[in-house]
Amino acid sequence: MLTRLPRLGVSLPRLLCNPPARFVSQSKPSGSAGAASVTELHPPEEKSGHGEVSPYVKNPDYHGFSRDPVVDEWNMRVGFFFGISVALVIGGTFIHYLPDHGMREWARREAERVVLQREQEGAPLLSEYYFDPEKIVLPSSGEQ
Amino acid sequence: MLKILIPTLMLIPTAWFAPPKWLWPLTLMGSLLIAVTSFSWFKSTSEVGWTTLNSYMATDPLSTPLLALTCWLLPLMILASQHHTHNEPLNRQRTYLTLLISLQFFLILAFSATELIMFYVMFEATLLPTLMIITRWGNQAERLNAGMYFLFYTLASSLPLLVALLILQNTSGTLSLLTLQYMSPMSLTTHADKLWWVGCLLAFLVKMPLYGVHLWLPKAHVEAPIAGSMILAAVLLKLGGFGMMRMMLVLEPLTKEMLYPFIVFALWGIVMAGSICLRQTDLKSLIAYSSVSHMGLVVAGILVQTPWGFAGALILMIAHGLTSSALFCLANTNYERIHSRSILLARGLHMVLPLMATWWFFASMANLALPPLPNLMGELMIITSLIGWSYWTLALTGTGMLITASYSMYMFITTQRGPLPNHLVALDPSHTREHLIMALHLLPLILLILNPQLISGWVN
Repeated sequence: MLTRLPRLGVSLPRLLCNPPARFVSQSKPSGSAGAASVTELHPPEEKSGHGEVSPYVKNPDYHGFSRDPVVDEWNMRVGFFFGISVALVIGGTFIHYLPDHGMREWARREAERVVLQREQEGAPLLSEYYFDPEKIVLPSSGEQ
Repeated sequence: MLKILIPTLMLIPTAWFAPPKWLWPLTLMGSLLIAVTSFSWFKSTSEVGWTTLNSYMATDPLSTPLLALTCWLLPLMILASQHHTHNEPLNRQRTYLTLLISLQFFLILAFSATELIMFYVMFEATLLPTLMIITRWGNQAERLNAGMYFLFYTLASSLPLLVALLILQNTSGTLSLLTLQYMSPMSLTTHADKLWWVGCLLAFLVKMPLYGVHLWLPKAHVEAPIAGSMILAAVLLKLGGFGMMRMMLVLEPLTKEMLYPFIVFALWGIVMAGSICLRQTDLKSLIAYSSVSHMGLVVAGILVQTPWGFAGALILMIAHGLTSSALFCLANTNYERIHSRSILLARGLHMVLPLMATWWFFASMANLALPPLPNLMGELMIITSLIGWSYWTLALTGTGMLITASYSMYMFITTQRGPLPNHLVALDPSHTREHLIMALHLLPLILLILNPQLISGWVN
């Protein structure tokens, strides 16, 4: 990686500028597989030369999508419209207005309202009995 | 369900027949429309747990957030991959897109599967596109080794899962989650039953990964191209967590004795993986170990089997998916400029790329679980339920949170703050595309602060 420093405008000692034979691969990387060795050395060049040219040189409004300025512009619009305006805004509104499934939010609001009401009345918040004692029917002690 | 699956499948012909100039905008548009349509799963239309039910697939409050995350991630992957593939031959670009789309297809089927064998088959099926992405589009020679580790760790651990599922089918007569959820606990007393318990969970523990069987993760995440790292960190790890949560249904009474060594590994993994992060010089490796640490917390949360543990695990999985993917995208913006993953080569970046520094800040703060982001909410719920299981876990989880904060701050300060080094003289300005990716990662995370019940499962 340090061999790429010349591209960034730093001048290097001669040993790195002229790779000796001890580097592993002398062949150019084949196009689609990429370099198996990381020692391909590009000569230091200026921005408008034959090395890696910044896309901002030809297209100052480069958005990062494509070298073709028209496609670049449209791709940016597609991304922002469908990503932000449709997905986040419209999708977010849809999610915000989803119904209260299982009435959970209602239950929380109702509980808070009832607690407030009972505190104001001075009544206990919950009765001790889980069941209503008057509804419990016990067999009389005389029967089997 | 089909209104999302069929468009996803149709994205593959889109990728192959689109005119070359419009390939990436078209697939981006298609995937974003699918992502919006996937929000319809959040509307639960039935009173029972399962919605959108058909013979093979259903969604419930556990799988819906993960499905939405999967569908949300495809457009983000397309955005992130556009730059590094722009010099490749056209057919190779189309193949790359096909691999990403097929991954989304398999993941949707995996998360929505009601039958465990279908889940297993889809779980395995996701390995193939990921392996191809890592080995064919990775940048260094180590990608082959990384692919082997990834493939064989997961394959070897999932073979016991297949055997365990077949045993389950034999004993209980069904593998449908709809029926299994009502099954009474089996009598699991023999040593063979204990091995069966391990077999059920081992695949998911390796996938999560549990510390101890996590060796594949740093290799795979580092050597993968950006889309590979994103899908691995955001969704494929969560397949493990999701699988564990589903299997807990049937592993009933054995879990409370068998979980001890695994919780110990998980909690120790939080501390150890976090500590290793502090010593990393490779940025992607740092983020990868950070994933191991967070997933250790998720594993612990799932294994204690409490409602808060499950809810916290699910919240943390979604929040970590978005955060970790955002961090990998940020690391990729560095890599595309200096072609190195070293954390030291590109320092002091807030002086030259201040807007990107803002995204770095948000992503790092999300990683260290800053309130009110859901990262913290998930972690707090897990830690609380762990304390209910044993007070002593607080020592490890507390130390873990401290170390997480340390390495997140370390990563932010090293890449952004400090003096700009002299060798950085020609960095491209941040692309609009890069800002869009970061916004699409972090804005949903911030919006989830306002509506956490979307991702908290059955607990409101």
